[in-house]
This record gives sequence, structure tokens and C-alpha cells, in this order.
Amino acid sequence: MKREAICFTAEEVLQRGKSDIPSELLSGNNLVYSSPATLAYNSPGAEGFGVKRAGLSVPESIMLIVAPGCCGRNTSLISSMPEYKNRFFYLEMSEPDLVTGRHLNKIPDAIKEVLEFLRDNGKKIPKVVMICITCVDALLGTDMDRVCRKAEDALTGGEFEGIKVRPCYMYALTREGRRPPMVHVRQTIYSLLEPMEKDARSVNIIGGFAPLENTELAGYLKLAGIRNIRQISTCKTYEEFLQMASANFNIVIDPEVRAAAEDMNKNLGIPYIELTRVYSTDKISSQYKALASVTGIDIDDGEEKAEAEEAIVRLKNKYPDLKFNVGECANANAFELALSLVRMGFKVDEIYATLAPENFVYVKNLALLSPDTKIYCNMEPTMLYYKISQSDADVTVGKDAKFYCPDTPNVAWNQDTRPFGYQGVRDLMNKIYDALEEAKA
Amino acid sequence: MKGLRKVLTPFAPDQSGASGVLYSMGALIVIIDAGGCTGNVCGFDEPRWHESRSAVFSAGLRDMDAILGRDELLASKIGSAVERIDTSFVAVIGTPVPATIGTDYKALKKLIEGKVDIPVVPVVSNGMKLYNEGEKEAYKALIDEFATDTPEVETGQLVIGMTPLTYGKDYIDLTLDDIKNIRGAKKLVAASASGIDACEYLGKEFEIFSPVFKNSIPEGIKGKTLVCHDEVVGKTLRDAGVNCDIATFFKLHDSVKQDGDKKITQEDEFIEMVRDGGYDTIAADICLKELVPDYEGNWVDLKCFAISGRT
Repeated sequence: MKREAICFTAEEVLQRGKSDIPSELLSGNNLVYSSPATLAYNSPGAEGFGVKRAGLSVPESIMLIVAPGCCGRNTSLISSMPEYKNRFFYLEMSEPDLVTGRHLNKIPDAIKEVLEFLRDNGKKIPKVVMICITCVDALLGTDMDRVCRKAEDALTGGEFEGIKVRPCYMYALTREGRRPPMVHVRQTIYSLLEPMEKDARSVNIIGGFAPLENTELAGYLKLAGIRNIRQISTCKTYEEFLQMASANFNIVIDPEVRAAAEDMNKNLGIPYIELTRVYSTDKISSQYKALASVTGIDIDDGEEKAEAEEAIVRLKNKYPDLKFNVGECANANAFELALSLVRMGFKVDEIYATLAPENFVYVKNLALLSPDTKIYCNMEPTMLYYKISQSDADVTVGKDAKFYCPDTPNVAWNQDTRPFGYQGVRDLMNKIYDALEEAKA
Repeated sequence: MKGLRKVLTPFAPDQSGASGVLYSMGALIVIIDAGGCTGNVCGFDEPRWHESRSAVFSAGLRDMDAILGRDELLASKIGSAVERIDTSFVAVIGTPVPATIGTDYKALKKLIEGKVDIPVVPVVSNGMKLYNEGEKEAYKALIDEFATDTPEVETGQLVIGMTPLTYGKDYIDLTLDDIKNIRGAKKLVAASASGIDACEYLGKEFEIFSPVFKNSIPEGIKGKTLVCHDEVVGKTLRDAGVNCDIATFFKLHDSVKQDGDKKITQEDEFIEMVRDGGYDTIAADICLKELVPDYEGNWVDLKCFAISGRT
């Protein structure tokens, strides 16, 4: 037995072609190894903004997790954060519930009891109750929309009338389906918005659950006369959140919110434009040109582009032969980032990421510039045997890369807030520079 | 309402207990889930995961795998992993998904054994029971598969049930050789509820005590005390002279239970015990204090990983 992690070079992947991506690099073909990266992948509620935190991004909301105890176990990691205090509640399913489905009948009373508990303890009464259900109900075929309507009806005529009840599907089983959990939860959230008069000077940035970092995008919109730039994470109240329905258009910054954007287009008459987070300054420039063209606003990105490119040059001048390992547990598409780094003139030794077919285009270009770059799949079972001695990288990007290369300077780059555009490039370059300087010191 | 938690987060489930027992035995551990349960085990309920790698895998089930009962696909995935991972046996651990679709674990064992030439140990768990039940099932499955009636090696004392979920950093691992020779052990010690269950299953004489607390009463315990932890922790403190009642969210065996002791399930039952018991001291994980904010007596923080996730 070899006891070593399986990998493929970019060139090998290119030679096999998009229709023959090695099964070891794809998800769903093998047992799934539990590395830190797959933990985030594995557990839709565990790390970053999974379904649970995402559901609670609606201001003045609480969540009732209706599931076997195991599904809510790791929520204590989240509920210890001050902003989630008194916002998570649990209705634990028992074995008889599994057979009879009676847990669904308990939901209206459970909601009432939770609301009374909050009232009696002087806590704020929520505007929305999210009901989080898991794989069991996916298999039972539970009609959760109906269950939520029934729960809302049960509040009618009482002191809690008007509180919305909505489903959140933490269905890990459907991750690669048509509506994966993180797509669905975004649809649920924005389904709360109701039609209202449009404000030509309002725009929503949707997709994230934490604010964009201080990017140039907001500046461009303001210069174009946009007065209200709303993100769900910056809405302090439910009323403020509802104002998102007045937007003139949506800027989609994450493909997982595309379905919700389509819904908003259909139901609220809000069109959308999609911007992707990339680390190539030329691509960023093209995107801003497209945004300007579609929306009819003027965007002069010369200064910000120059700043980002200066940061690249500063790093390149100080560390001309820098070699990277890049992970997927970061605010970047690992393949796009790797390609951008190579185009900047750096080297990329290893990538740790699942190769979805839509990322093949990056590997194709990478193979032409850096054919020996090795691609590992975080989830592949033999990653158990990955040893740092295999790589001589100078620096790593991504939390998962840190796990595999513990002694190499690392920029985790997995903060909740979202880097974007030139700001993302500039700050990442500076962080890498600082990490290397710190390691040297 | 029964099953409703307004303050506490859920406790460690049976699948975490099963995984904890198997973690150090060199098995290829496969949790039959879509990924979330494995994430819970590795990212939360297994403190050793951050320090030492172990072959814990998710089956990576998808909806159609579960709906169509694709056990053959699962067996193939396991067979493929066994070809590439150095392991002495395969353990498969149940979750709510196989519980919902009614997986036949005996048949699954046979199916997987058809693909690999090493033993397969299925542990029946469903994510709805508590960790001690999963530990018990894991011990039973290991004993059934590996424990010999005539051990070749003589073993001294074996402590059963001293896992991280009960004892945090003070755990004692059992090896596969320990299990093989368990019937020949000179002395068996049950250190937790699952330890008692395992010893009873073996049908051998055993002692019940916690090696951590046997000669070490936590500082600060005084007067009439309520110990809320695993039953063996409570019993050990009682045997050491602490005037206490035992409350446990986990199992309370008749061999441990005395008047005043109670197996509790709901948050309200703990609140009632504290309110009506007149205790000078509560010895329990500090996270439980949130249930009784008005309690003015003495509180000794007796960490329990299965409750709070603190080591």
C-alpha cells in the first residue's frame, strides 16, 4: 500500500478533458475525508455562514431547529456568539417522531412556548421564526411550507399575530441537487420581501451574509447617485430589511443567490446583474465596464486598479520567486486564484479543492502556464496521508492549506466579511506580504 | 414541552459516542450520512481530531442514494477506500439517514465484507439517542466481532467507558488488542454508564468507579450536593464521602441509583431538582447554570464534554 495522497497535475487533468475529470477530484464518487475544508463542506451548519447562521441573517429573527439532537449539536459553537444569544431553540425528534411524523404537529405549540419564554424573560419578540429541518424530513417528504403556514395561522388572533414562520432546509443530502441548502435558504430569506414602490436610487448587494469589505464598488455606486446601498447584513431592523424590496436593481455577488435573484425579478420586479469575485485585475476591470454599461452609470476604476497592481508589484519585487499552495477554504475560487497568481508571475505548487466541471476552464488555462501544478481534492480519502514534506511552497492561502502545511506562512483569507474587486486583490497581496515578513522576523 | 430546548444546546448524540470509542482503534470509520453528521463528530464532538488524524469518513450520501437504498454503491466506495487506506477493520456508524430508510445493518455488513477482506463492524446508532448509547453499541459490536473466549495475552486492569465525551482530556483509550483480550482481563472497571453496559454485556465481574475522581474530590464541594454528570462520576464522589444526589441526563443504572437520584431528560426537570432539593452545592457543568440563574448556592464546575463541548 502506497500510503500517499492522490493528486493530478494540471496538465494531466487537461489531457483527460472536461468530460473525464478524475473521479478522485470530484465530489460524490468516494467516501468523504474529514479535513477542515470538508468540515465546512460537510456540515451546512458548521462553519462560516451555513444554513443556521444564514437563516438568522434576517434581522429580528429566531430559529427553531426541528431535528434529531445530532443535527443541532454543534450549534453551541454559534450560539456562544453574542449576536445569537436567545436566537436558537430546539425541538428534538425522537424515534417515534420518525415513524409517526408527530413532531410536525408539535411545531405550533413549540413556537408559542418559545415566544412566551422570550416574553417572560424580557427578551425581544421576533418578527420571524425560521424553522430549520434536516435530512430526516427531506426523506420523509415533509411539506414544510404547509407546516409553516399552519404555524403562522396558529398565531392568528393571539398576542403573537403577524409573526412570520418560514422554513430553512438544512438538507445535506441535496447538496449537489438543483436547489442545494445554501441556495434554498437565500430564496427563503428574500421571499419575505413584499412588493413596494421602487426607488431609483436604491440598490441591493445580495449573496453574502456578512457585509462586503470596504470595496470600491460602494464608492462607484455612490458616485453614480445611488443613495441607498443595502445588504442584508447591514440591515439593523426587520423594517429596514423590508426596504430591500424598493431597490432599482440587485447586484448578485454569489452564484448561490442567483435563484433568489430570479425570484425577486419575477415577484418584485427587481432585475439583477451578476459580478464574480476574481483576483485578475483585468477581469475585475471588465466586470466594472459591464456594470457601467448595463446600469448606465459612469465608473472610473483607474485609481483602484493601479493600487491593486502596485500591491502585486510590491510583493513581486520583494519575493520574485514566490511559490504558493492554495486551498478552497478561503474567500476565493481556488482555481481562479491559482490562475491569477500564476498570471501575476508567481508559482503555484499545489491546489487543494474539489474540481467542479465549471472550474475546468481555469485548470485548462493553468495547465498552459503551469502544467506541473498539482491538484488534490480535500475530500479524497487518501488526503489522510498528505504530508507537508511533499511541498516546498513559501506561503499558503486558505484555512485548509494551513492544515496541510502547518509550518508554512499562511493567509487564511476566510473572514466572514467579503473581500471584493480591487480591494480584494490589494488586501490579499498585502496580507501575503505581511505574513512573509512576519515569518522572516 | 417534551423535547423542546429553550436554553441548552443538544447533548452529544449516539453516533458521536460510537465514533469516540472507535477513534483510536485503527479502523476505517464510515459515518453513514450526507456529511453533516461527520462534520459534527470531527468538528465538535471529537477533541482528538484537531490533534491526531484518524480515518473518519462520511459516506457522502445523496438524496437518491438514500431514496433508492444504494447500499451497493456505499459498499463499493468503502471497498475502494480500503484498497488505499491502511486499516485493520471497517466500522460503519448509523445516523438519522439510515434510521429513516430502515437500513439493515447485518445485510450491509455482509455486503461490505464481500468487497473487503477485513472485518466489518456495524454500529447501530440513529442520532436521536445520547452518546452513552452509541458508546454502548460500539463496545457491544467490538466485543461481538473481536473478543476471544480464550485470550492468548493476559491483561491486567481494563477501564471501560473512559472516553473524551465523559472525561474530556482525562480519557483512557482502549486498543483493539484490549478488546480482543477483554475476557481475560484480571479486573474490569466501568468508568461511565456505557462502561457499566459493556461490562454487563461481557457478563464478568467489574467495579464501578471513576479513576479521575476516586481519590480526588473537586475543590469547593461542601454540604448537601447535587452532582449532575455521568452516573459513575456521581457514584464515585458519593463513595468518597460526598453527601450527594445524582442527576444525570444520561443513563442511571439500578446498580448506582439511590433515593434522591434521578434520570432527567428535560431542562425543567433539572430546574425543579435544584429549586426543590435544598442543595448547598451544585457540581455540574457551568453551562447548566443558565437554567437556574437564581440559584444562590455554591457551584462547582464539573466539566462534561457531552453536555457543553468543553474539554
